[in-house]
Amino acid sequence: MNAHPFRRALVRWSAPLLVLLLASGCATAPDPGDTVAVAEFKEINDSGEPTNRAVFGFNRFLDKIILKPLASGYRKLPDAVQSSVHNFLNNLRSPVIFFNDILQGKANRAGSTLARFVINSTVGIVGLGDVADGMGFPFHNEDFGQTLAVWGVGDGPYVMLPIFGPSNPRDTVGLVADFFADPLNLWLNNIGYESAIIARGGLRGVDERARNFDALEDLERSSLDFYAAVRSLYRQRRTDQISDGEGTAILPAPALGGEEPLFPAPAPGGEISRAN
Amino acid sequence: MSVGRCLRPALVGLVLVTAAGPSAQGATDAETRASNFIDALSANAIEALTVAEVPRTERIARFRTLFNDHFAVEAIGKWILGRHWRQATVDEREKYLALFEDLIVVSYVDRFAEYTGEHLNVTRTVVVDSTNVTVFSEIMRPTGGPPVRVDWRVGSLDQTLKIVDVVIEGTSMSATLRSDFGSIIRRNGGGVAGLIAEMREKTQSLRK
Repeated sequence: MNAHPFRRALVRWSAPLLVLLLASGCATAPDPGDTVAVAEFKEINDSGEPTNRAVFGFNRFLDKIILKPLASGYRKLPDAVQSSVHNFLNNLRSPVIFFNDILQGKANRAGSTLARFVINSTVGIVGLGDVADGMGFPFHNEDFGQTLAVWGVGDGPYVMLPIFGPSNPRDTVGLVADFFADPLNLWLNNIGYESAIIARGGLRGVDERARNFDALEDLERSSLDFYAAVRSLYRQRRTDQISDGEGTAILPAPALGGEEPLFPAPAPGGEISRAN
Repeated sequence: MSVGRCLRPALVGLVLVTAAGPSAQGATDAETRASNFIDALSANAIEALTVAEVPRTERIARFRTLFNDHFAVEAIGKWILGRHWRQATVDEREKYLALFEDLIVVSYVDRFAEYTGEHLNVTRTVVVDSTNVTVFSEIMRPTGGPPVRVDWRVGSLDQTLKIVDVVIEGTSMSATLRSDFGSIIRRNGGGVAGLIAEMREKTQSLRK
């Protein structure tokens, strides 16, 4: 990876990020004597919650007026068009995924990413088709936030970024690093086509939003606190991505037969009558 | 935003678990039983929920039966509340558990009406501890694209098997609900009463 744009990225982005973090309204810390509440506060790890909620509200507003209508229209395109766009965007990301595979010391995955890039850019016609998937090289994603995690960097407090959505200091650094390490972005920047960089980012946003459309609708509809549900899902999803999907067998989960009885009396039915 | 990919197909996939369980070789009794249990659930779910022209109220009733038969509803509900369970009164516990059941039922019942031929393969099983087995599965979408990973944590008590958690692409439904409900409790000053009121309101709005 070229160290130059990376350093420039950190310099350019650290100032606004710092301002954002400093401007964060702080969540009210619990009484230090209440150990259970303190442990819970640390687990939630969202010291800027009031500001994060405000930014979340702003993002939802932007989503409602821009992103959601675009994603909605995009979903009406034929499946073949949508998957071609998705494949094309994934293929453009290959160099960044490759760098991160290497930085994480995952030679097999790096090889797979390289093979995918070569096959899909040629046989797949500039990446529109994912031919490599059928040849034993399925897509996998990596980013510099995951790489930092593999290197042992902690995530830090939850941060809701404007436009970019759920994050944390580690993943924000990763986002910026990936952006400036991307050869295509560097090239477009050099030849003065910054608008193409923005268009690519926008298209990726629309594609991602469209692919999560139903899941987000359902979550918003059925959750009591949409913000808290998104925060939990973001963290779980990142943990899963960092472990390359290998960590789920050992997640904490409910167990049958607790030591204390649930009820002194038999369990009731639902409040909605069964005859309903 | 990359939050839990494709919750809907995954849940719909609950409907179609094929008999292609893991190879019996090397699998313990507990693993085979857990895998068969997921198979049986699928057969019941397809029969009960994907039939066209069944009124919504009837689908709600069927889903409720299926949910109670196959999921450890009380244990999940209790785990989601965590320490707040111990502080709740008996009356609050009863109201909470009833509303928890209602909320899940009305939140997910309509997913099955949208079933579009997703196909679920059990890929492997893992023994978690003496009473828990995780059944890993992949849901293939009829339109192609990458399969969705769904892991089923199956707990056993005596001879009864119940699902204690569903993990979609690494995101646990129980853990997500725990964060969601926990946040409501904190924002209502720490008591379960505020949560119960919000659950009732949400359930009523989803019933419409």
